[in-house]
Parts: sequence; structure tokens; C-alpha cells
Amino acid sequence: MAAVTLRGIRKTLGPNLILRGIDLSLTKGEFAVLVGPSGCGKSTLLRTVAGLEEPDSGTIVLGDRDVTRSPPRDRDIAMVFQSYALYPHLTVRDNLAFGLKLRGVDPREIASRVSEVARMLTIEALLDRFPREMSGGQRQRVAMGRAVVRRPQLFLFDEPLSNLDAALRAQVRVEIKRLHASLGATMLYVTHDQVEAMTLADRLVVLRAGSVEQEGPPLEVYQRPASRFVAGFLGSPAMNFFTGSIDATGRFAEAPGLRVSVDPARFATLPPGRPVLIGVRPHDVIPDPDGAIDLHVEVVEPMGFEAYAHGTVGGVAFVARLDGDAALPRPGERLPLRVHANSVHLFDPTTERSLDAGRS
Amino acid sequence: MTPRRLLAALSLLLAAPSASAQHLTLWHAYRGAEQTALDQVLDAWRRAHPAATLDVLAVPFEAYASKLESAIPHGHGPDVFVDAHERLASYRALGLVAPVARASVTAVTARFDDTAVRALTAAGDLYAFPLSVKCVALFINPALWTDPAPPATLESIEALRPRLPAGTYPLVYESQGAYFHAPLLHAYGGAMLDDAGRYTFVGPAAERSLRRVIAMTRAGVIPDEASGALVSQLFSTGRAATAISGPWLAAELGSRVPFRVAPLPALADAGGRLMEPYATVEGAFVSSRSHDPSAAIALAEALTEVPAAVIRARVGRQVVATRDAWTADPELARDPVLSVFREAASHARPMPTHPHMRAVFEPARQAILKALRGDRSPRTALEEAEHRFTDVTRPLPRRRDATLALLAVGLAAMGLVLNSLRGLRDPVFRRDLRRSLPAYAWVTHAAVTLALLVVVPLVIGAVTSLYATREGHSYYVGLANYVDILTARGGPLLATGSFYRVLLVTVLWTVANITLHVSIGVALALLLSRPLLRMKALYRVLLIIPWAVPSYVTALAWKGMFHRQFGAVNALLTSLGGEPVSWFARFSTAFAANVTTNVWLGFPFMMVVTIGALAGIPKDLYEAAAVDGATAWQQFWKVTVPMLRPAMGPSVAMGAVWTFNQFNVVFLVSGGEPDGETDILVSEAYRWAFTRQAQYGYASAYAVLIFLILLLVTRRRSPEALP
Repeated sequence: MAAVTLRGIRKTLGPNLILRGIDLSLTKGEFAVLVGPSGCGKSTLLRTVAGLEEPDSGTIVLGDRDVTRSPPRDRDIAMVFQSYALYPHLTVRDNLAFGLKLRGVDPREIASRVSEVARMLTIEALLDRFPREMSGGQRQRVAMGRAVVRRPQLFLFDEPLSNLDAALRAQVRVEIKRLHASLGATMLYVTHDQVEAMTLADRLVVLRAGSVEQEGPPLEVYQRPASRFVAGFLGSPAMNFFTGSIDATGRFAEAPGLRVSVDPARFATLPPGRPVLIGVRPHDVIPDPDGAIDLHVEVVEPMGFEAYAHGTVGGVAFVARLDGDAALPRPGERLPLRVHANSVHLFDPTTERSLDAGRS
Repeated sequence: MTPRRLLAALSLLLAAPSASAQHLTLWHAYRGAEQTALDQVLDAWRRAHPAATLDVLAVPFEAYASKLESAIPHGHGPDVFVDAHERLASYRALGLVAPVARASVTAVTARFDDTAVRALTAAGDLYAFPLSVKCVALFINPALWTDPAPPATLESIEALRPRLPAGTYPLVYESQGAYFHAPLLHAYGGAMLDDAGRYTFVGPAAERSLRRVIAMTRAGVIPDEASGALVSQLFSTGRAATAISGPWLAAELGSRVPFRVAPLPALADAGGRLMEPYATVEGAFVSSRSHDPSAAIALAEALTEVPAAVIRARVGRQVVATRDAWTADPELARDPVLSVFREAASHARPMPTHPHMRAVFEPARQAILKALRGDRSPRTALEEAEHRFTDVTRPLPRRRDATLALLAVGLAAMGLVLNSLRGLRDPVFRRDLRRSLPAYAWVTHAAVTLALLVVVPLVIGAVTSLYATREGHSYYVGLANYVDILTARGGPLLATGSFYRVLLVTVLWTVANITLHVSIGVALALLLSRPLLRMKALYRVLLIIPWAVPSYVTALAWKGMFHRQFGAVNALLTSLGGEPVSWFARFSTAFAANVTTNVWLGFPFMMVVTIGALAGIPKDLYEAAAVDGATAWQQFWKVTVPMLRPAMGPSVAMGAVWTFNQFNVVFLVSGGEPDGETDILVSEAYRWAFTRQAQYGYASAYAVLIFLILLLVTRRRSPEALP
């Protein structure tokens, strides 16, 4: 049975149509990540599920209850906010107990659940502190604890890591994943960070301008993006794109300075001469003296374990990932590159949808 | 004789003695016709003494005595001043006045009416040349009192009641005023004050007089709580057959209303004794510090010469004390008003000159008011008033030696100096000091300003509280004022007017106001912060207006609205079918009126603070609370209220201090009514300083206690660390 079902959610804020009819369904215990650039409507969708916004139309079903018009307190959900939204006038203990007290839970029960959650999140030492006396990471953990202690049907996360520094973010990311594993709860997570999206999600939902652009397991979405938008959004550095066409043999796609073979299993039916948008990820190229991609190197960024070579191919900007320990090219040099056929993505230049036969 | 010819004669008469150049100053408190008359007299004097210069200063009556008391000892007071005889005793005690003649010199005294001379004589010396005698008389409306003979008894006036329509009264006078009540009291054989300065408005005669007034009020013979304005309004519009009032009413009525004047009638109930009014004798006094006493005496006497007296009588409508003026101008003797007032004055009783007389009026007024309103029996009302009087006039604490205190202060100061000198030797401190010199330069002007405007007055006030002061006397008494205040001057701790009672009222006042300020302010701020409200800016401006209007304007407006007869509040009550309320007659309603006014003044501040604080509460907190399961009500109590607390704390503390010391509202709206019960500490302190014989030391002790209370209460809570 689905834990959450959204059907045709539409929402306008002022003159702007924010959500254009979202359909989404999560099974129990699933970790879904809503990802997309700023303004794509992902936060609004989350807030609509929480009950903080009311949709113009559509229905929200939690478990077997239609909660579309219910206030947040009747939805059995918990939410972790980007700003953490801890009550500044309450200690950590009281912050954790707040929701339980409101629901009239027995004080002994509250105490045991608070200490259990504190142990789980290793914040026992902080229980008598006020939020202002803690670091960002500690606050973040308390904010999660406040959600966990409620044992809700559904957890909502609204960009909970965006106020943390990079190292802490990686650490808390792992903790969230662990939490999900141990609780087995259904979670809906909003982020604009593709690393979080990729690492956390059981299911990735890419939103674009109020519509679902693509959804599926993260690896599938990464490897077989349904559109140029998804392809460009996931992966860092972003995918390189060329305007070109299928050559006369039908086995290669060509563009100035570039000639790559296409995977017949995915793009077999494309007629010769068809104009296409060719996408190659920086990670999918390797230096090869016989390579058909002619990179004119302009800048090299060594990272240690890897390096990025920035330059142009046929006058179009191109980034290539190189092994960090290999001999690195110098700016001004030419670097021939090769790409494996199944790492070439082709899109229709007008619709920008993938031409992958297995997808469409 | 026309006034112009009189003036000419006057100039000739006064011309003689001017030989050397003189410079004289004269002060008076006259207004209107009396001022005009005096100016004419003085102009004539100037023409007759071209070599002399004469400065004339008209001082407002309210400030007159205290201005004289403070100016004369410092040598910048007048040479000659016009004042009433009842201040003679205190002026003598303060050494402000010099005798103008021996009372035995009949060449001088025989020129004046006997009453006037007696009133201005002390210890065998005449201290002022008598100018005029003032007392009240009976004004008669001939349309309602048709008998050509004036009423012989008060009872005959009362007998008019059945013959007059409702809303028209047989008699009007300011029944709650001690001055106007005195004739009735005198007729019953009582007195306000005896010669030794003892309060005598108690006992059977006083009670009889009060019961008489109550009976007349209940029977509709006289109106309720008539003010001076109401008296002249009722009489001039023909709604009163008779009125008891002074010469000023005659001046006001002029020729537009027909009236007659007669001496006050007798009281049959008191065996036919006459109702004796108080007489006030005005004289020209000579300052003890005059630079030219003989010239000053000559000027003072010149004001009483016959031509000058005739001008004062004809222009200033004064009942002049110069006998020959009445024969010199036959028209004066025929004047139906002046001659009657002169006759009435001959039956009048000079106002007691004992300094305690001034402490009689307020308690006596309160006693009459309470008895008239029925709050107290006449006996209790009178006894309470006597207690008030004793309170105000209690003997000053005995003088103490200030040496010990001075020694202690000196030692402390020396210790401080030595301590700082030792600090100065420390090289680290000296280096730091040198480095900080520019910083000190930056704050110098602020420090000096603060010291001058705040610290110095504070210290002077605190020092004053160690002195007993009354009517210009002042000597060191140590902590006696504090002991007096804190022991409730020996009376019951919670008696009316005791420190603790007033403190209780003040605390109640503060708590009531702050509670209402905060709850109304927060409620309005919440309404104004609703995102969907239209025309928010307009409402905000409208709600801030009460704050923008000066508080005394608001206070006076509200006082008017709470007026029993003409106020908007009672008009509203009546239109809703309610009974009009005498708002200032009872503590509860008077207190409520004060609180209403102050709430009106105070809520905008709390509202503005709250609007600011609300804007600082992150929206997420409400969302988090909503998701956590809080209803709107729970969100208010568990998020809004605790989040407002850090911002509201200091505002509430500040508001409490302001309210604790909110003088304007209490003084202007209820004025402490009834009988000082709604006074708060600061208005009580004001009364000791300015309406109870100028006891500045005592008032300063109150001020220091207020300061200490506020210091203790506000120090306790240090501002919470903000999130």
C-alpha cells in the first residue's frame, strides 16, 4: 500500500503557477528526494504535503486518509526545516518534548522517548542547553530528533543540510541515511544539492518548473536521463552538449571536432542525417591518442585524485575529467579523448527529450 | 467729580515730597478692573513724582506668595506689595515685612475703617495701609424675590422652594467651599480656626452646620456641588432667587441682569444670629528689604489717599477702607452695590491670620464634600478632616546637628579622593588613562550635561529631604522626615494619606495600567500584524494618535468627559438608560477614570513595541509548531508569548516606572479625589511641596523613597540574554 499518494496537485501563489499538476506515490519506508533548481516548486510541494500550504486542486492521501484539507496537526507528519526552527526559549529537552506534550502524551512516556532519541542521535549531553548555546550541526541533530521523537507516518525534510559546512554536511548525510535504515520510515526530502539527492534517495524525483521531469532510482535517472534538463542537472561538472547529427552510417553522431559512436541498443532506429543534441559527461571520457574528440585545453584544475581539463571542442566549451596521477596536459595543448558508446546521450534538439529507445 | 478731575487733584496732592531720585518696585496680583484702577492711581503718582522711577509687576495670584517669599530675602523683591491681611503672620515670621506706623498713631489709623486697621495690626504696629475690604453678600434677583425688603432670615429664602419651578433654586452658592460655608458655621457659633491656630471645624456647631447644608441640598433649596461658574450661570439666567457671592459677581453681572445686594441674612435656627462671612483686608505692605523705606512707606500710603481711594472704588469697584473717600464722593455712598458690601463688611469676621488658616481650606472642603455626598456621617467627615489638618500642620521635627553628617560625608569624600590618588600612582593605570584621554574627551559634554541635568538635581533633592522646611523656614533634621513618613506620622499604617496606603494605591495603579497596556497593546499588534488586513497603515496611524497627543491635553479631555453633569461618559450612560455616575465621588470610579485615561495614553507604546517584536519572530517557528500539533491558541501561548518576552521585558519595566510616576493623569483627571484617595506617591509628594505649606523637605523625602523603590524593583531583573 502506498504511504503517500499525491494526485494532480496544482498550486498558484499570487499570479504564479508554482505546481502544475504533480502526481507522485511513495511506498511505505521509501526515501524519496525531490530535487530541482531554485523556483522549481519542490519546497512548495513539500509544504503542501505538510499542510502549511493548501493546494488549489488535487488530493493528498496519507496511508488511507485523504488529508488534502486537514491542518498539519491532523496529518501525523514531522518536518525538519532548513533553519531548524528550534524554539529558542526552550531547552533541547523541551524542544524534543514539545509536540508530545501538545498531544497529551504521558510524561513518563515522553521522558523515555526523549532519552531514547537523544541516545540515537548522540545529543544526550545537550539536553539541558538552549539552542543558542549549540553549533549548527548540533542544532540540526536536535531538529531531526524533534521529528523522530514523534514517530510520525511521514518525515519531511526541507533542505536540512544547506546551512552546514561541507564536511559536516557529508557526515550528517550519512547519519540521515542510517536513521532511515533504522527507523524504516517513509521520508520525503527536498534539496537542490545533487550529491544529497543521489546519495540519499531510494527514488529521485526531478522537478522542473512545477512538473515532474523524471522519477526513478537515482542511478537510473543519472545514467538514462529523460531530457537534456535532467542530464545537465545531475552530475558535476555538468554534461557537455553539442549540436550535431547522425552520420551516413547511422552508427556515429558527429559535430565539429567530435565523432562518437552511439549505442545501437539505445539509439538503433535513428535515421542517418538526423539532427541530434549530443551529451557526454566529463567523467565518461579518457585520453586516447586515437580519440575522436579533439579537446583544445585552456585551463587545468588538478584536484589530487582527479583533475579537470577545461577547453573547447570545435569551438564549444567542454570539460573532461582526468585521473589525478596521470601526466596532465598543459594549457594550449591538444588532448584527444575517447568515449565509450554507451556513455553517449542523444536528445532531440527541439523537444530536448532523450532519443533513448528504451525510454520513450 | 469726573475721574479725570480726580486724577488731576491726586497728582497735585502727591506732588509735594519728591525731592531726590527714587527707584521703587511694586508688586500686585490684580486683574481686570482692579488692575486698571491701580494703574491709573500709579500713573498719577508717576506724574506727581517725575524724578522717581516706579516698576510695577503683576504676578499671577497662584504664584504670588511663594514668589514674594523667595524674592524678598534675596533682595530682589518689591519695595511695596499689595496682599491680603491673612498672610501677615507668616510674612512677619519670615521677616518679609516692616511696620508702616505705630497703631497708636491715630493720625494714621483714624483715616481707615476699624476692621481694616485691626486686621493689619500686629504687636502694636500697623503693617500695611488698608486698601479695601472684601467679603461676600447676598445677591437678590428681584423677579424671584419680589419683597422690596431683603430676606431677613435664611429660612425665608428656603420658604421660596414650593413657589419656584423645578430647576430654579431659592439660593445658590459654592456649598462645598469652606470659605462659603463659614457664614453658616459662624451663625451656629462655630469657627474654622481659633486664635491659637487650632482647628475648630469639629464638634456640635460644625455638625449642625453640615446637617443644615445637607438638608438644604436634599430639599432642593441649593444645587448640588455648585462651582463658581455654575453659581454665576444660574443667577444670571434667572434660575436662582438669591446667591451668596462676592463683589466679583457684581462685576460679572454688570448692568445686563437686574439684581440687588444685601448683607447676609440671619439664621432663625441659630437664635437669629447673623451669618457672618469672612472679611479679607487688602493692604499695601512695605518690604523689610526695601532700599528706601521712607519712600516705600510714602508710596504705600499714597495708594490710600482719598483721590486714589475714590479711583479704586469707582474704577476698580473696591470697597475701599479710606473713610473720607465715602464722604468725598457722595456717589460712592449712594452706590447700591459698594455701600452694601461696605455694610456687610462691618458685620464680617476678619479671616484668621494664623498661618494654619491656609491648611484649613482643603480638609474642610473634603469634609463638606463627603458629608454632602453621604459617604460619611457629618461627624466622621469632620473628624477625618481634623486628622488631615493635624497631619499637615504637625510640629516640625526638632532641629539636629548636621556636624556628624557633614563629617561622615567629608570622610567619605576624602576616602574616595585618597583611593583614586592611590590608583593614579599605578603605572599601568596611568598608561591606560593617557591612552583613554581622547575617549574621555568624547564623552565629556555628555557627562557634564547629565551631571547638570540629572545628578545635581538628584543630589540637591536628596539633601533637601534631610531638612525640615515649611513656609520658607528650613533647618537640618537628619532622617526625621523619613521616620515620619515610614511611621505614617504616628497614625494607623493604612489611614488615608499615609505612605503605605498611597504606596498600595500606587502599586495597584501600576499593575492595573501595565496589565491593560500590555494586553490591549499585544491584542492590537496581533490584529495589525495579520498579513491579510487591509489599510493596515491607516489603522496603525489612528492607533498611535493617543500617544502623539500631549498627555495633559488628553488628561484634561478625559476629565471633561467624566464630568458628572456635562461629560460625554455620563451622556452615553444616560442615553443607554443608565444613571449618571458621580465619577470622582468614590475611590473605585475615580480610580477607574484615571486608569481609563492612562490606558488610552499608554497602549500605543506597547502596541508599537509588540509590532516590532512580532516582526522578529521567524515564521518557521509557527510552522514548526503547527506541524508539531499546536492549534492557533497554543501557538500564541507557546511561541508568540515566550518570544515576545525578551522584547517586552524592558518595555514593561520602563512602562511600570512611567506609570508609577504618572503625575499628569492622576493630578489632572481625578486630582486625588475623593479626599486624596486616588493620589499616587508622586502626586502626594507634589501636594506636600506645593499645596501643604511648602514642605519641600518632606516632599523630597517622598521623592527619594519613590526613587529607591523603583531602583530596587527594576534592578532585580537583569535583561535576559537574547537568543
